[in-house]
Amino acid sequence: MEQRWANTSRLTINEKQFIEEALRSEIRVDGRRLYDYRRLTIKFGREDGSSEVQLGETHVMAFVTGQLMQPYRDRPNEGTLAIFTEFSPMADPSFEPGRPGEAAIELGRVIDRGLRESRAVDMESLCVVAGKSVWAIRVDLHIIDNGGNLIDAANIAALSALSTFRRPECSVGGDDNQEIIVHDPEVRDPIPLTIHHFPIAVTFAFFHEGNTLVIDPHYKEEAVSGVRMTVTVNSNGDVCAIQKAGGEGILSGDVMRCLRIASLKASEMTTKIKAAVETYNAEVALKKVKRHPSLIAQKITVPDVEMKEASFQKTKELSADMENSPNQTSTSLTTTKDRDTNASIGRPLNWDPYSSSAPAIVSSSTLPELVGTSKDANEDQMMQTDEEYDPNLKKDQIGSATGVSSGIHKQNSPPKSLKDAVKPKHKRKKNAERGAR
Amino acid sequence: MEDRTDGRNANQLRPLGCSRNILNRAHGSARWSQGNTIVLAAVYGPKSGTKKGENPEKASFEVIWKPKTGQIGKQEREYEMILKRTLQSICLVNVHPNTTTSVIVQVVGDDGSLLPCAINASCAALVDAGIPMKHLAVSISCGLMEEGSIILDLTKSEEEKLKAFAYLVFPNSPLSVIDKVHSSKEEPIEHGIITSVSYGAMPVSGYFDCLERGRAASAAISEFLRRSLQKQSSDDASRAAQ
Repeated sequence: MEQRWANTSRLTINEKQFIEEALRSEIRVDGRRLYDYRRLTIKFGREDGSSEVQLGETHVMAFVTGQLMQPYRDRPNEGTLAIFTEFSPMADPSFEPGRPGEAAIELGRVIDRGLRESRAVDMESLCVVAGKSVWAIRVDLHIIDNGGNLIDAANIAALSALSTFRRPECSVGGDDNQEIIVHDPEVRDPIPLTIHHFPIAVTFAFFHEGNTLVIDPHYKEEAVSGVRMTVTVNSNGDVCAIQKAGGEGILSGDVMRCLRIASLKASEMTTKIKAAVETYNAEVALKKVKRHPSLIAQKITVPDVEMKEASFQKTKELSADMENSPNQTSTSLTTTKDRDTNASIGRPLNWDPYSSSAPAIVSSSTLPELVGTSKDANEDQMMQTDEEYDPNLKKDQIGSATGVSSGIHKQNSPPKSLKDAVKPKHKRKKNAERGAR
Repeated sequence: MEDRTDGRNANQLRPLGCSRNILNRAHGSARWSQGNTIVLAAVYGPKSGTKKGENPEKASFEVIWKPKTGQIGKQEREYEMILKRTLQSICLVNVHPNTTTSVIVQVVGDDGSLLPCAINASCAALVDAGIPMKHLAVSISCGLMEEGSIILDLTKSEEEKLKAFAYLVFPNSPLSVIDKVHSSKEEPIEHGIITSVSYGAMPVSGYFDCLERGRAASAAISEFLRRSLQKQSSDDASRAAQ
């Protein structure tokens, strides 16, 4: 549509010349050095297998889902992996809805080659019944904001989402041993995918007839440069894919140089991704712990009696703190998991306006089961986040205090009018503040 | 009255979250979350030209709905149409004739009340983009239980179990400097209703109950919306030129 062409943001000649001239002196538009990546942030969503990656201004979301399907006839005992890329029109005024354009297809293919054809994800473990039923993994990549270098960002998003995806456990059973039973995630823990290596895509942009090359081009640099090359390598130094589609020629010496730079960058990137995934997994494991309070109750029944009084005080303080210091509470209403405050999740979302009346309702029966929400292993973690509340609290008191407040939440249910449907104002402010960041 | 699965009572809303100005390229963007239902909306400000079937004397709107996974089907088209009509009625369409404003909605999480969440997000994104509007719109879902009681802000499991529920969109009264002299004679603006989408069969009295409850709750949501929009208005810069 011609109107769309007219509406795309085009660089002025001045901007183009400025970018090229500055690169002669190795200065980039955003102040980076030639081989620097922009700031990378990896966040995970509430469900398994959803990630959100921000590389500078570029913003990509990935969702991984799995389904049982029939395998391909020539590979009867392997699962399938499919990558779907969506260049959302919100990313760039020139992206149109509907059929994917060249760039979208190219991106999808490069990531596909890097992940699937290099056998990064183990396909044979996805087979359930050979020839009949295998897991088909589907990765949906949504480009939300185009700040340049979409391939690298989308690749990182896909890798992070695949690392945190969990598929339900299934076993073969039934009358004739042919029926497949998919177990509920609550009954049996879902299983992660087996990822052998992390193929990292590194994109280079060339200027001045191949004399200057930069890594992680900004969208303005992309518009100026004529030549781009993407190299997908892993931290072992294996080259998984190279993509150089059109543009001017590059000397083979330069290509080798790019490969060497790329393998360095790939190891850095792999450590970052693995660190982010580890943090997320640790938080998820922490949340699961509270399901087994009976294991710990015996340990703490004795000090229980002494702590009742102390814990009343602590819950009062805690609730008061939570009401008045919105920035510090761990009751997050955001879906992102990188915030420290999410770690102390012994209790459900504390948007309940009843929590201020907590101390009056705590009964001795609730204490034993809920005190168990803190295991020794977790107390360290909870210690870190609860430090903000009250540094003087001792370890086990923190555990019991947070355990108690979660019990309170469940106990209260007197009938309330519509006014109480609304969270108290200061709590909402916290959301808005959080949103302002 | 039985408790709802997440411990809320009939009139409680899920925790609301709103953040504005989150994307760099889009002219306006907002992310709205109600519990686990999260929607991201982006707006590209008035672009020249209207599509073929649209009235060139007015500004037209184009809505693109992107589901989380899967193909775009009839459900998405229906949401696009409802969203488009709703936004058209709250914006001042005579200010920029012969222009198209695009609203792109991306579903990030779906746990019930998806359309109300999307409408709220789009409204916030339009404000972020600076599109001229008559008033804001707030949207809420109301469900009718068997015994006739109303529950607000449904989750996905509640939507599936209930016999009938409705998504309602109410206008948000504009703050004005001039005191309205005729306010005693006319009905206040909140008593109007912009959009109503109902699913399932419900008796007329049940529907009116839904309207009453929804209207009362919309006051709370619009309060939240105003507060979160006002807070961030200090760091706005014009992005349309980039």
